[in-house]
Amino acid sequence: MEAPPVTMMPVTGGTINMMEYLLQGSVLDHSLESLIHRLRGLCDNMEPETFVDHEMVFLLKGQQASPFVLRARRSLDRAGAPWHLRYLGQPEMGDKNRHALVRNCVDIATSENLTDFLMEMGFRMDHEFVARGHLFRKGIMKIVVYKIFRILVPGNTDNTEALSLSYLVELSVVAPAGQDMVSDDMRNFAEQLKPLVHLEKIDPKRLM
Amino acid sequence: QREEKQLEASLDALLSQVADLKNSLGSFIYKLENEYDRLTWPSVLDSFALLSGQLNTLNKVLKHEKTPLFRNQVIIPLVLSPDRDEDLMRQTEGRVPVFSHEVVPDHLRTKPDPEVEEQEKQLTTDAARIGADAAQKQIQSLNKMCSNLLEKISKEERESESGGLRPNKQTFNPADTNALVAAVAFGKGLSNWRPSGSSGPSQPGQPGAGTVLAGASGLQQVQMAGAPNQQQPMLSGVQMAQAGQPGKMPSGIKTNIKSASMHPYQR
Repeated sequence: MEAPPVTMMPVTGGTINMMEYLLQGSVLDHSLESLIHRLRGLCDNMEPETFVDHEMVFLLKGQQASPFVLRARRSLDRAGAPWHLRYLGQPEMGDKNRHALVRNCVDIATSENLTDFLMEMGFRMDHEFVARGHLFRKGIMKIVVYKIFRILVPGNTDNTEALSLSYLVELSVVAPAGQDMVSDDMRNFAEQLKPLVHLEKIDPKRLM
Repeated sequence: QREEKQLEASLDALLSQVADLKNSLGSFIYKLENEYDRLTWPSVLDSFALLSGQLNTLNKVLKHEKTPLFRNQVIIPLVLSPDRDEDLMRQTEGRVPVFSHEVVPDHLRTKPDPEVEEQEKQLTTDAARIGADAAQKQIQSLNKMCSNLLEKISKEERESESGGLRPNKQTFNPADTNALVAAVAFGKGLSNWRPSGSSGPSQPGQPGAGTVLAGASGLQQVQMAGAPNQQQPMLSGVQMAQAGQPGKMPSGIKTNIKSASMHPYQR
């Protein structure tokens, strides 16, 4: 589960447009320890949080070409935690000097019958994975270091295999639209993690 | 008056420097006494470096042009009393409670210890004995030796740096970064292996991303598009594998499917 409980995520009711600012990088398994130590030093002082999450991505295919994507996440190690439903828009391309990937973000916690509901609405699950890793926070910035596991037998979250020998590192901030200085803070923080990890703005469309 | 102000200012600076020095000395001693079994050489070096830096700044403050010659100032105790002095206690952090006859000679002395005085006298007579020329020559040779040493050290450092550090540097793999980002963004390489977006005809054996895919070949099943009407019992909640998109389906879907449930209102 994206460990910040719902009370920490901004409430998106009403017309507040929340944007997610994102920087991504990766670190090889053998350097994970040093990265974790560095993050523990840099980030807010709290108990290191680990998490195991199962994320499913649902698509709704309409008449238009691009399907509507919703992401559902649940925690595998925290019993009773609510499911999380998230919408992420297309990355904003007004490049300028923005250092982070910016996209519209809507987040909500839901009850456990989320998948049934989505299926009834017409969504189909596109892919799923298990994410296992650590979570750090610094102010409004959230740093997540996790390993992606492919689910071999659909539905069976125990039978997983790692996707690669690296951990994905994500630095993200969810903030109201228009606060571009957030990306400067993020870039300064990312500087402190070099040369262990290079956090940068990676455009997913480039990787298609 | 100006000189008084200068004196005060320089005294203040000196005081703060000395206080810093005292603090770092104190912490170093604490470290040595309490953590001696866990202490590492670099940490000791750090403390030493800190101390030497502070001594340096102290020296600089003393040499500063605005600092009047302290040598010309004399400290005379005005009042000696055997009573406890609260102010003094506060200022010295409880170490000097009484400004009295025993304390003053110790704290205010300017004459060095007899042994030290002896050694100084010895050194000055030696220096005078050698003569100016010989002294100069000695100074020059010392300087030359020091610079030689420095050069050797820096050369060593440069050579070892370029050689040794490279292999250790790889802490991340950009290809992995791309693969992971693609996996999170649109499922490249994950359980469904369906080519993203509009699916062109893809080979049944094609994983679609340069990621570490091991042992997954056993799971491939090609699902034909023409099976939209299979209604199979839906597994509870989570375990849903999407079988086929209604409509456009080349044979490129490889999933290990337990249930293929089509929505009645398929689009």
